[in-house]
Amino acid sequence: MSIGVDQWVETADSRRLGPSGWWGRGLHRWKSLPPWGRLAIVVALAALVPLFASDFIVRVGVNALLLALLAVGLNVSVGWAGLLDLGFIAFYGFGAYAFALLSSDQIGVHLPTLVAVPLVVVATGLLGVLLGLPSRRLSGDYLAIVTLFFSQIFLELALNFDRLGVDLTGGPNGIAGVTPFHLFGRSLSSPTSYFYLFLLVLTVVVTALFFLERSRTGRAWRAVHDDALAAEIMTVPVNRVKLMAFAGGAAIAGLAGSLFASFQLGVYPLNFQVQFLIVIYAALILGGSGSLPGAVLGGVVVAVLLDLLRDPGQASAAFYGVIVITLIARVRPWRRLGAIVGATVLLGFIVHLVATTLWPSAFEGEVESTGRLASVLDSWIVVPTEPATAGNWAYCALIACLLALPLLRGWRRDALVVPTLYLAAFVWETRLVGEPSITRQLLLGALLVVMMLARPQGLIGTPRVERV
Amino acid sequence: MEFFTQQLVNGITLGSLYALLAIGYSIVYGVIGLLNFAQGEVYMVGAFIGFGVLSGLGGPSALAVPVALALVLMFAAAALGSGMLGVLIERVAFRPLRDSSRMAPLITALGISIFLQNSVLLLLGPDIRNYESSSYIPVTSGIHVGFLRISLVRILVIVTAVVLMVLLTLFVKRTHLGRAMRSVSYDREAAAMMGVDIDRTIMSAFFIGSLLAGIAGVMAGLVFSRVFQLMGFVAGLKAFTGAVIGGIGSIPGAMMGGMLVGLAESFTSAYISSTFQNVIVFGVLVLVMLIRPRGLFGRREIRKV
Amino acid sequence: MSRSLLELRDVSVSFGQLKVVDGLDLSVEEGEIVSLIGPNGAGKTTVFNLITGVYTPDSGSIHLDGTSIVGRPPHEIATMGVARTFQSIRLFLNMSVRENVMVAGYGRTTARPWQSIVRTRKARREEHEERALAEELLSFFGQRLVGYRFDQPAYSLSYANRRRLEIARAMAARPRILLLDEPAAGMNPQETHEITALTSRLRDEKGFTVLVIEHDMHVVEGVSDRVVALDHGAKIAEGSFEHVALHPAVVESYMGKGATVTG
Repeated sequence: MSIGVDQWVETADSRRLGPSGWWGRGLHRWKSLPPWGRLAIVVALAALVPLFASDFIVRVGVNALLLALLAVGLNVSVGWAGLLDLGFIAFYGFGAYAFALLSSDQIGVHLPTLVAVPLVVVATGLLGVLLGLPSRRLSGDYLAIVTLFFSQIFLELALNFDRLGVDLTGGPNGIAGVTPFHLFGRSLSSPTSYFYLFLLVLTVVVTALFFLERSRTGRAWRAVHDDALAAEIMTVPVNRVKLMAFAGGAAIAGLAGSLFASFQLGVYPLNFQVQFLIVIYAALILGGSGSLPGAVLGGVVVAVLLDLLRDPGQASAAFYGVIVITLIARVRPWRRLGAIVGATVLLGFIVHLVATTLWPSAFEGEVESTGRLASVLDSWIVVPTEPATAGNWAYCALIACLLALPLLRGWRRDALVVPTLYLAAFVWETRLVGEPSITRQLLLGALLVVMMLARPQGLIGTPRVERV
Repeated sequence: MEFFTQQLVNGITLGSLYALLAIGYSIVYGVIGLLNFAQGEVYMVGAFIGFGVLSGLGGPSALAVPVALALVLMFAAAALGSGMLGVLIERVAFRPLRDSSRMAPLITALGISIFLQNSVLLLLGPDIRNYESSSYIPVTSGIHVGFLRISLVRILVIVTAVVLMVLLTLFVKRTHLGRAMRSVSYDREAAAMMGVDIDRTIMSAFFIGSLLAGIAGVMAGLVFSRVFQLMGFVAGLKAFTGAVIGGIGSIPGAMMGGMLVGLAESFTSAYISSTFQNVIVFGVLVLVMLIRPRGLFGRREIRKV
Repeated sequence: MSRSLLELRDVSVSFGQLKVVDGLDLSVEEGEIVSLIGPNGAGKTTVFNLITGVYTPDSGSIHLDGTSIVGRPPHEIATMGVARTFQSIRLFLNMSVRENVMVAGYGRTTARPWQSIVRTRKARREEHEERALAEELLSFFGQRLVGYRFDQPAYSLSYANRRRLEIARAMAARPRILLLDEPAAGMNPQETHEITALTSRLRDEKGFTVLVIEHDMHVVEGVSDRVVALDHGAKIAEGSFEHVALHPAVVESYMGKGATVTG
């Protein structure tokens, strides 16, 4: 112990607070690994996936890796530099189209992969600078809308370019017949080979960004995010740094775009609508904006969840699963959780009994899920023969309940949770399960709202402190 | 020449619509320094509410009440409904995040925007609703002076917009609430210390802005007939463009900016190309951002360091 | 006669109709500690903002060691040798203590993004040097900001430590002149005493020239070689502390007409 130093201060490390129990111990062990160790473990685990899974799962994996890459790219401009970059989808689309142009019959150019990809990445980076230029002096909201407008414009150009005389983009039909990646003499064709390619690219990009985060550039970005004016007065050329953030995010998006184009063997305008931009944002926000592992995690989780939504049975499992997990994670003590769950189950059975006894013909519908879950649900949820109208009213009631929940306290709130849960299940079975594309968007929108209000730092991000 | 005046009229009609929406953006920006991303969706909901009232009164071809009354009811319902929706949005998305970063309320509003769009899609289905204004407002009525031909619908829209803008300007300048809004826009803390009820003022700003959006939605239905879930998105973008060009936070600026965008769109669509009208409007925005970022009437921000 | 390190000549700036700084002449010689005093609203922080390039003067000139800095962007002026702290502390709250200090080294360093990614020898060396410099500067304040504190987020620091961190950050920009905006604001008497000693150490040990805005006259008295008093944007007195503190115009600006001060 050095002279004059408080013993209390010296032993601060030993008093660091963290989660307890086996979860906390595991977490501590994980955190004490060196970064490359953690990365190696994750990559190794991921690499095992294609060996034990079907082609379908491997495809889901490819989508997950792609979304993770996109989230990581968005993290550069949004998470680190704090720029609300809604033009990201246009960079992705530009990268995809640019690669398609260089690898298809559209303009008759077929560049080797290792030439085309770097070209596309650089070109997209430049586009990022271009978009950044008029936006330099704009603060968050202006920037958001200008970049959003840009995304819209990109889509319109992609759809209508042929009307300018030169058919560069294939119009609404896009560009088909993109040649797959050609590396070391071999053409990649199977989902498995693409899985490993995407995994490799993601690993390289994450490693590069890891070093960048800790460099002067990364510090400059984060400083600009925290207090752009102070940063400028402390020698940081804020405008230039913002442009670099745009360019960096755009370049990664361009890379992702070329990967996507070659995997899908084509590019179509509808791949790059604002809906997908929301998906990327949801991935980053869920995982943790500002955190590299958060972006990867968010990308994987959102991609998997969205893929699960395609099949009603799996979607239902995921839906109920997420609700149950959230309840378990957030409702304490156990007695309270038990009371709520018990009451909800009871309510369901009672409603079902009453409804089917009194109006048997009105409630002949069936639950969409399959398997054992379905048989249980069938006696718990009452499904009207005409689900749509009742479902719609229930939806409105559900929204009302959800809005009312934060306004209540104590036992009243818990009491409201019970019918809310039942309504949620009801709405799910009667309306949402049958409309997967709408449900996707609804859940994504709701995710953004809930995350920002309840846990803005995402699953594994660190909470930010804002200057008041 | 006739073609030109036609486009001029179109442009002014469109511009009135955008101006109302743009004012909504500016009012909200004025009091909280943030953009209400969900404004476009509020406009869309207003259009649907108007249609709902129209159907409830018998539908376009069989109105049970006189046309004037029907229109008043449509506007009133949309105004009220949208206004309340705006207040709800403020409570849910903006108030809890008032002191957090700039990004949080924006992303939340973005989420709400998506949620609203898709909720309407879920509840009302994907079918396009049609106001069929020609059924109850004869197309041939209106002003007909030489080559100047303005249909009644357009007159209605323009006049309503102008009246609203005048009322709003008076409101902001003369009433207590209007002054409160202006004071909050300059310095929220100081306003609070002077006894201004910040929560109520902000809520009122959202109410008024959304009310205008709702009325604009009904206007859109009357002029364009087609009402659909995604109509708020691009209209919102263009109205925002108008607000920015005019100087965000400035109400006269929003009026001018919205009008300019409407005229630009109309003339571009007619004389240059209708497919690329959005591209060109966007180009104009970028130009203004480069040359005069604070817009025509924007205040120069004095940074306190 | 050698030129001053910092020279403002006839500088004026108005915000709308309000003239905030009015024909100000101010010069600071190398190695001096000059205090800028005046009642609230006198324009002192505005002077800092003018020097650092946040505002551009409507008229007049500002020279740093003979070179004009008017019209240059703030980051350029900072790299040329002007660093400051803020009246209301403006740290990068979500960055660590060490990182806050290292940010100020941006203007001096040159590692490009690709070099940082690939970790060239030059990039690594630069990073190592910046880290060492940051830690050395932080140790200027004793044990308070060292050790485990290096990696703590800035928002976890106490008020006094935040002020110290801000000064460390300003030092890291390796300025010719350090502008301290009310460094003792919000401090208790002991901390205030520390700030006074600190300011002198900044000049004596580190060789910085210092221009301080301060309200606490004890600090001003203990620290200044020279005091400049402002009111309504104009200079009303200049000289030693004793001369300025008892100057009738200064007394009037603080206390109103007819007030007297017994020395």
